[in-house]
Amino acid sequence: MSYLIDEGKNASHLLMGNEAIVRGSLEAGINVAAGYPGTPSSEIIECFSQVAKERNLYVEWSTNEKVAVEVAAAASFAGLRSLCVMKQNGVNVASDFLLHLASSGTRGGMLLVTCDDPGALSSVNEGESRLFAQLLEIPLLEPGDFQEAKDIIPWAFALSEKIRNIVMVRSVTRLSHASGNVRFGPLPATAAKAEFHYSGPLLDPDTGPMIAMIVAAPEAQHGPQQEKMKRAAEIFETCPFNTYTGPAAPELLIVTSSACSLYSREAVSILGLTERVGILKLATTWPLPQRLLKKHLAAAPQILFVEEVAPTLEDHVKVVAAEAGAEIGGKIFFGKKSGHLPSLGELNPDLVLAALSRIFAVPYEGAPAAFSGAVKALAARYAPPRGMTFCPGCPHRASYWSINNAVKLDGRGGFVCGDIGCYVMGTMAAGFNTCKTLHAMGSASGIASGFGKLKQFGMGQPVMAVCGDSTFFHAAMPALANAIHQRSPFTLMLMDNRGTAMTGFQPHPGSPTNVLGDTVPALDMEKICRAMGAKVEVSDPFNLEKTRQKLNHLMEYADGAKVLILRRACALSPERRGKKDYEVTVDESRCRGEDCGCNRICTRIFGCPGLIWDGEKKVSRIDEIICVGCGVCADICPAGAIVRKEIA
Amino acid sequence: MSEVKLAKDPYNVIITGVGGQGNVLASRLLGGMLAKKGFIVTIGETFGASQRGGSVMSHLRISREVLASPQIPKGRADVIVSLEPAEALRVLALYGNPDTILLTNNHPIYPVGVIKGDMVYPPVAEMEAAVKEVLPAARFIAATARALALGNSILVNIIMLGALGRLNVVPFNREEFKEAIAARLAAGQLAINLQAFDAGYGMV
Amino acid sequence: MNNFGANKLAERVIQAELCSGCGACIDLCPYFRSYRGKTAYLFPCTREEGRCFAYCPKVEVDLDGISRFLFAKPYDGHPLGNWRSIHVARAGTRLKRQPFQSGGTVSALMYFALRSGCIRGAILTGRKGLLPVPQLVTRPAGVWRHSLSKYTAAPTLATLNRAVTAGHEALGVVATPCQATAVAQMRMNPLQKSPFQDPTALVIGLFCTWALDFRKFEAFLAERVPLQDIVKVDIPPPPASVLEVYLPGEKREFPLNEIRPLVPDTCGYCLDMTSEFADVSVGVLEGQPDLNTLIVRTQRGEEIVREAQRQEYLIIEDMPGENREHLEWAAGNKKQRGIRRCMETGRLNGEAGTACLRLTAEVTDRILEN
Repeated sequence: MSYLIDEGKNASHLLMGNEAIVRGSLEAGINVAAGYPGTPSSEIIECFSQVAKERNLYVEWSTNEKVAVEVAAAASFAGLRSLCVMKQNGVNVASDFLLHLASSGTRGGMLLVTCDDPGALSSVNEGESRLFAQLLEIPLLEPGDFQEAKDIIPWAFALSEKIRNIVMVRSVTRLSHASGNVRFGPLPATAAKAEFHYSGPLLDPDTGPMIAMIVAAPEAQHGPQQEKMKRAAEIFETCPFNTYTGPAAPELLIVTSSACSLYSREAVSILGLTERVGILKLATTWPLPQRLLKKHLAAAPQILFVEEVAPTLEDHVKVVAAEAGAEIGGKIFFGKKSGHLPSLGELNPDLVLAALSRIFAVPYEGAPAAFSGAVKALAARYAPPRGMTFCPGCPHRASYWSINNAVKLDGRGGFVCGDIGCYVMGTMAAGFNTCKTLHAMGSASGIASGFGKLKQFGMGQPVMAVCGDSTFFHAAMPALANAIHQRSPFTLMLMDNRGTAMTGFQPHPGSPTNVLGDTVPALDMEKICRAMGAKVEVSDPFNLEKTRQKLNHLMEYADGAKVLILRRACALSPERRGKKDYEVTVDESRCRGEDCGCNRICTRIFGCPGLIWDGEKKVSRIDEIICVGCGVCADICPAGAIVRKEIA
Repeated sequence: MSEVKLAKDPYNVIITGVGGQGNVLASRLLGGMLAKKGFIVTIGETFGASQRGGSVMSHLRISREVLASPQIPKGRADVIVSLEPAEALRVLALYGNPDTILLTNNHPIYPVGVIKGDMVYPPVAEMEAAVKEVLPAARFIAATARALALGNSILVNIIMLGALGRLNVVPFNREEFKEAIAARLAAGQLAINLQAFDAGYGMV
Repeated sequence: MNNFGANKLAERVIQAELCSGCGACIDLCPYFRSYRGKTAYLFPCTREEGRCFAYCPKVEVDLDGISRFLFAKPYDGHPLGNWRSIHVARAGTRLKRQPFQSGGTVSALMYFALRSGCIRGAILTGRKGLLPVPQLVTRPAGVWRHSLSKYTAAPTLATLNRAVTAGHEALGVVATPCQATAVAQMRMNPLQKSPFQDPTALVIGLFCTWALDFRKFEAFLAERVPLQDIVKVDIPPPPASVLEVYLPGEKREFPLNEIRPLVPDTCGYCLDMTSEFADVSVGVLEGQPDLNTLIVRTQRGEEIVREAQRQEYLIIEDMPGENREHLEWAAGNKKQRGIRRCMETGRLNGEAGTACLRLTAEVTDRILEN
């Protein structure tokens, strides 16, 4: 039994923020959860799936984030409690439906959980989802620690049901992926019954059809939606998760939220400023609780905003201060705009320490400068940076090798549009700098579809795009449909590594089992592409020469969209992990090393971590611990020095 | 192994290494044991986009009083346990101080830049000597060699936990480890993991 | 001349579109490869010196150095290069009539050389569809499958490189002028590898005014004839001025004026019509479609020709003076055109930073005065 459904009295566990959100949902009696994988959000759906049977949940990995919100919305319409979850970029995808949902409103409590990634630790950008709460006109909650990540969820569900609208709960990497002690509350009995009532009058919140009709009648829905926000603001004035710690009349008030409240507390404590600085930690960051803010602003002459990415709190609290100017007097503000804190990247205690140390003119030094200077010098010498690369045995390295060769051999200046997945590294040396554009999920295919139509303006460069299997279903299919219909002659390389590998092998519509372990229909990508009208080839990326030939052939085939499915499971996938196909060795007598005729192509260019250059002997060798025995490097070696022996 | 008192509050431990080495498991095991004993624990984890091959770092904050933030302030690590020597040095440079206890595996995992020949990874023995000049108590142990002798390089993380246990600075013991690992792994793997823990315990 | 590495070769020859696709840089290493008539540079090689650059006939070639190495004489700019004797030739009576192009001299010499053991393998060029495909032939009968002319550049020397790597020795090569220049540079062991042995025993050079860009040629024909039906392609010697394409039961002719735009730019910089650095050179004889011109240049070339004649594999006669004068006139024209082109584009003696030709003022003047 999972500890997530521990029903022991006063049970306490060390939980990741994401797990705390799951436990909170279970304590709120959640029924349905849907999401699309994306770091740092992915554990939430996985944890739900582990307790789905015991708690009678319906849980799914949806095709994309928009579908996830739609699936969760259906549950809400039928009176159930539901949640949809995604990383910040996913909210962009879901936003079209969300805008309509926010106007129709919801029935059963419904939460949009977003896990943002300030600093873009595992994202292509540090996009900010908080701004969506303003755009969508829905309430936004931000838990400040692990306990709160659990406790705020039932409160959020209740709020959603009070105002009959979706409520957004935002976490960040440092909460979602960090762990802390969480005391559990009781789990409710589960006996939900779903039914969609639609026979009442239009716009009746309980019994009418759920229809977003802003265009037809703005006042009919937009008006009530704004009323909902006013009610939320009122409720937020007394929200138990907005807390203040510090003296009654601090010299400086820190206004903060989320993980930044922990950094603020730690910095104030380290500098011994607890008697001089107050910390107002807000959990309700949209709409803002005006009276609460006014009260605290009035008590302090100086205000410091501690938040990550966009100056959202900073901007809106300043508006509150300006509106209340006559009452509370002028203030001195510090934050991103004053340059005391950076406007990009994630924060940490040190950045807050530096800001406070500057404001209060209190010197601070983490470690003696002489010591850290000396160690930094050693690190520069002895600890070479660890660049990103594909795993040993990764099919993408082999795919990009063949793609690079095909493009170069073709010699017409062809290029590849890149997409989102582990294979983003196609833009880097790890993927031989093959990809020349990179944007959102599925965008490679759309951009390539457009490039393919530029022949009439003299563009003779062959156009290619990559996408992964999960990305194919997520967003590439509409672009491919477009390209086929418009006869855009681009080649899509569908890198099918059998799962959503980057985020941990979540299933997608092409998988034979779903997140609950049920056997489900696996959509056949090859048949889909053929049925859509593309010319389709399939290749094993580990067969370098065949793959290269097929790609060259497709590049020369000028009529319409073409798909090359590069099928080989990820090296970390359950089916390949820990299994070696070959015992790989280097015959040192044949290795050409740095000589004319090779110049270390295996270590210098191919760059698999399983190969090491022995600088003393001037030969390559296999790192036995790292090598996973895929054997591809034997085909890279021009001298036959890398020998692979099949393991029976 | 007698019961240890925290030398400071919060007490700051960093476990670092390279993706795929089992760093996260080690920090969760340790954090779990401590939380169970009533400590207020925060674990902050940093790992890159790649599942393997990147630098990985877990910050453990152990306290009787406060919930510390998931990131240790620079220069304030009390203990650094590293599964890879270059990572030990990288973390020491940011989070170490003259009193930091440094315990590292001595087996290098070469970054891709080194494999490609753009950068050099100097011999670990040379690094060890240089580190000991600024931090004389630093310990480099042959955990990978020991793990291979036990049959699997993946045991490095457990060997390092055993070695940490021997240092008597973090309050946990072999019994607690046994209980924690038993709860996480299949029954068949318990014996080899205990062997690895004991091996590490004997290496410092 | 300075030797450089692959990056410089890619920059100065491939990117500068001077590459003739001869194959000299291919199959020495994994970095260069030929595809559909073009040489591709797959990954950057960081070596500062390489055989790729040293063998290339389109970098700053040291014509004087090659001439001294092969003939122990300086390069003097004579229209036909260095030679011992010039003949009219055709295949001898010992050979049954085969589908030769022109007089069959090249096939006859290669057949004889293989049969007699003078060479132990021959690097010849066949074709797959329109694409020229070089091959290593070790049995004399294999020569006949490669006896027809190809009019597009072929990476013949890639096959030579592969054969050498595989340990083949005493090889015969049929080479165009740029290929013969590259082979001469290979034979000079420019990287001073040790041990080193000249892998060739006979280099037969072909006359060449230009070769067609394969991709452009294929595209040109694809618009006009069914590619898969082509039996043979021929350019009969002047005064005819057409390209003939033979289809089953049909011959189509295209004026050379339409074909010339398919000649790659690089041919315009070439000074060599008669493969001056081969052992023997063979071409058509103007106005005599069944006979060849044969230029004997080296001692080993002379020995093989003499023996082939003695054993009646080859029939040779002296060349009439007027034919030789005409040949010199044509070859001299190509030299002048090439050198002027180099001068116009700053490629003589490296005025534009990259040279494909370096000559003394004296030799330059002599060529222009001829």
